[in-house]
Parts: sequence; structure tokens; C-alpha cells
Amino acid sequence: MRLWKSWIVTAKDLAVFKKNRYVLYSLIALPVIMGVVLPVIFVFALQSEAAQATHAQLLAGAGQLGDMISTYMILIPAVLPSIIASYSFVGEKIERSLEPLLATPTTDGELLLGKSLAAIIPCMGVTYLAAAISLTIFDVWSFSALGLFLLPNVYWILAMGVISPLACIMSVEANVIVSSRMSDIRAAQQVGSLIVLPLIILVISTATGAAGSNVLLALGVSAALAIADVALFYLAKATFQREEILTKWK
Amino acid sequence: MIDTENLSRKFGNLTAVDNVTLHVDEGEVFGFLGPNGAGKTTTVRMLCCLISKTSGKAQIGDFTVDTEADCLKIRKLIGILPENVGLYDSLSAYRNLDFYGKLYEVPDDRRKENIERLLKLLGIWERREDLVGTFSKGTKQKIAIARALIHDPQVLFLDEPTANLDPEAAKTVRDFVLELKKEKRTIFLNTHNLDEAERLCDRIGILKTRLIAVDSPKNLERSLYSRKTILHLETVTEAVSTVVKNLGFVKSMRVSENKLILDMDNPERDNPELVRLVVSAGGNIQYVTELKSTLEDVYLKLIREAAPK
Ligand SMILES: Nc1ncnc2c1ncn2[C@@H]1O[C@H](COP(=O)(O)OP(=O)(O)OP(=O)(O)O)[C@@H](O)[C@H]1O
Ligand SMILES: [Mg+2]
Repeated sequence: MRLWKSWIVTAKDLAVFKKNRYVLYSLIALPVIMGVVLPVIFVFALQSEAAQATHAQLLAGAGQLGDMISTYMILIPAVLPSIIASYSFVGEKIERSLEPLLATPTTDGELLLGKSLAAIIPCMGVTYLAAAISLTIFDVWSFSALGLFLLPNVYWILAMGVISPLACIMSVEANVIVSSRMSDIRAAQQVGSLIVLPLIILVISTATGAAGSNVLLALGVSAALAIADVALFYLAKATFQREEILTKWK
Repeated sequence: MIDTENLSRKFGNLTAVDNVTLHVDEGEVFGFLGPNGAGKTTTVRMLCCLISKTSGKAQIGDFTVDTEADCLKIRKLIGILPENVGLYDSLSAYRNLDFYGKLYEVPDDRRKENIERLLKLLGIWERREDLVGTFSKGTKQKIAIARALIHDPQVLFLDEPTANLDPEAAKTVRDFVLELKKEKRTIFLNTHNLDEAERLCDRIGILKTRLIAVDSPKNLERSLYSRKTILHLETVTEAVSTVVKNLGFVKSMRVSENKLILDMDNPERDNPELVRLVVSAGGNIQYVTELKSTLEDVYLKLIREAAPK
């Protein structure tokens, strides 16, 4: 595996994305909603109840909100790759540019890694950007209301450091597999985005506020994602082979 | 340079390529002719290590298409123009070629030189920064050919390089292939275009799942039908036709209006004698011409005769 070869493919894909308005909009829209709009709304909602609440109640509410905001950050890398990767895989299939690409002295693994990185890098990039912004919004409020910086906490660190990258990788891998069977970008995006469903469990848990259990749950989800990533990696690798692509991809 | 032995490929129950054995010399332009679905593209894909073979052997230069290690070397050695150009529409012509140059591991300065040389040669250097999506089909085809040549490959596979091009663009592409031929590159050319095959290729293979015939265009034209001489006379008189009919070297004679159509083995040797005798028998000769069977006649005959599987 020669990483520099993969990087050539990544750089090309990133250049193609830059020209694609739809990819750019998605890269901006989702993080803005999750990282700015939602946190601001939630913080205002909590603040409006602050006058009637005791300090203990406010602290509990803030703790729960912190976890909720962290969870929404995970949804960004889970959803975005299904949009971006579908352009990179189904897109190449539609442009029929895979055959000349496969004819170059590059291994299947190098190509797959290069294309995957092209989806992972911008998605994780905007995720961390959104995470930094939402964390700032939340902490500014929590410091002014409670005199404390509540984030980052253990759950946030797990969410950003472990679950997000694992979810991003899973989403990309799922998209490689989906793309091999689909020749319509929208359809691939819709099927690919089903991958967020398992993460809904975190959304429900953090929203219903069994606060202390979130870290344990996050550890469980991390383990499940890790296993799913490994399994999907082998499936994606088996799907992304010259022979398969040229003879079976429809 | 290219060698195959009983090369075969099946897709499920369908045999796409059946026991093809052929040899292409270094520096040769080899034309691969055959109807739709004959297995031309499948053969090229096997030779380029893009898909696996079901059985048989194939070799490019010193490398066999069996192992991944050899395949990487083969891919460096060859350039391919696939059936579909597959360029990136949202990138410029230059960026498309640069990307492939990098993947083919061409060093920076040589990559720049090659792109400039190829784009100038094909007359698109001025438009190098334009997005490929804005180009016509013919121009895209030229860029795809430049892409196939970006790493100076010794062997070039062209899968129907002039399909869907207007006559002028097709001619530019053909002239370019002739240039490449002068550079002594080995070229494997898939085509439906008989005229193109005849003009460009040193030898032609006719494929219909199996390889039906391989030879130079000239030999193919000669092989199937014996050669005929046509004698246009003012009038065909009894005296003339009797003389001609009884000549030893005339295998058969047919009269059609004022023409004599003669079947003979060696017209170059015997025609002077024929003309002398016809003149002395009082014949007034207007023209002496050769009736050639064209590559098209030969192709159609071979394809029709090839037993359906
Ligand atoms: N991936 C595939 N799966 C099943 N059958 C295939 C596949 N690829 C090719 N074939 C079949 O193999 C045969 C040979 O196809 P191939 O594309 O090699 O023909 P060709 O000579 O290139 O034809 P054309 O002139 O139309 O390009 C055809 O019958 C085709 O349907
Ligand atoms: Mg073909």
C-alpha cells in the first residue's frame, strides 16, 4: 500500500468536489444547522426556563443539553459521507471514469483508500469545525449562567474522538457497497443515509436524559461501530475490485 | 510483444472469447475486427489486466497477466483508450492529464513536458485550462488518447478510437495513430471500421468469439477469391473470346456486355501476353483493370461463414 498513490486520488476527488455545488452546500448546511442553529435554539430554550429553576435543576438541564449537542455532532459525519461518497463512487460510475483509473498501476486497495479519504477528510473537517463552534456557544452560556465550563466532558470526548470517526468510516464503507448496486446518486444517498438509524439510540437516550448512562451507552455504541466498521471494510474491499467493478457493477 | 495462447473468457454460460491464440510483434499495428459482441473489448480488458481470464495464457512483453505483481508492471507498460473516454468533466484538460501522469508515476518535469507535447500535437494546448465538460466528443477523444500516452507506453490499446466521431475528427485521430506507428509503438486497435483497419494496420485479426483469420489486409483480400482481370473491349467478338477461352493461364471466363471477366492466378505475369493475343485477334481494348475483392467482402464472408456457437 503506497499512501502517496492514494493521496493522488484523494486530491483529485477533492478538486472535483470543489466544483460540485451540491457537495459544497451539503458540507456547509448540515454543520451550520447542527453546530450553530440547534445549539443556539436549545441554549435559549434552557435560558428562558432558568429564572424558575433551582441551581441544581439548571445544572441537570445543562448537563443533558451538553450531551444532546454532542450527539447531534455525531450525526454530521454519519450523514454527510452518504452525500459526498455517492458522488465519488456512483459519480465515477456514471462518468465511466473507473475503467481508465483501474488501468493505471495502482492497486484496488490504494484506489479505495484514496477515494474513501476524499469523503472522510471534508466530513470530519466540518464535523470538528461544527463541534468547536457548538462547544463555544454552549460553554459561553454555561459559564455565564452557572459559572462553569461543562464541555468537553467524557461523553463529548467519546463522541468526537471515537464515535464520530467510526461513524464516518462506516458511512463511507456502506456507500461503497451501496454504490456498486446503484447507478442513481439520489438513491444511493437515501439508502446510504439509513446508516444513521442505529445512532438514533444515542439521540433518544440523551434526549430522555438518563444522563449518567450516556457514557456507558457511548462505549457500547463505539464497540458496535468498531465491529461494524471491520465487517463493512471487508465487504467494501471485496466489492471494490477491478473484476467486480467492470463486470458486475450495474 | 503481445502473446496469447488459447485465451478464453466466460461470463456465466456465455463464452465471450474462445481460445484466442495470437501474436503481435513489437512496433506492429494490429487491428482487431469483429461484429458487436465479438469479444474485442473483453480481450483487451484481459490483456490490460482489468478482468481475469477464464483459461489460457496471455503475455505482454515479459510479463504474464496472471499475478498482481506482473499486472502492475504491465499497466505501466501499456496505455489504454477504453470504449468510453471517462474523463472528469469538472476538471480542466490539463488537470485530467496531470492526474493520470501522477498515477502512472511520471516524474514532475517529464510529466509537464509530455502533457505540453501531446496537447500541442493534438491542437488543444490553447484550451488546456478549459473544463473537459465544455469540449466536443472529438476533442474529448483526443484528450483520452493523450491520457493513454502520458507515460510513453510501449504498447497502446485503442478500443474503437474513431467510433462516434465526425469524419474530420476521425481523420485527425487516424493521422495521429499513423504518427504513433512511426514511433515504433505496438498498437492494438479494436475497430468496426474496415477502411480504417486497412489503412492503419499491418495485420488484422477477425474475431467472432473465436479468432477466424489473421493476416495482412492485402493477403486477406487475396486469400478468399482468386484474382480477376477485366478486359473492356469495344465489342466482344467471337474470334477474341475463342482465343481467350483457350489460353492455358485463364482459369475461367465470363462475358458481360462488352467486358471479359477472367479468372487467373498470376495476372502480373500473364496480362501482357493476354493483351498481345487479344489485339492480334482483332480486339479493340479500351481498359484493362483488376477486379479486387475488398476487405469488406472478405470480412463479411468470414463472419457469415463462422459457425454460430
Ligand atoms: N460483464 C459482463 N457480463 C456478462 N456478459 C458480458 C459482460 N461483458 C461482456 N459480456 C458479453 O461478452 C460478449 C463480448 O462482449 P465485448 O464487449 O467484448 O464485445 P465487443 O467485441 O467489444 O463488442 P462491441 O463491438 O459492441 O464493443 C458480449 O456477448 C457481451 O454481452
Ligand atoms: Mg467493444
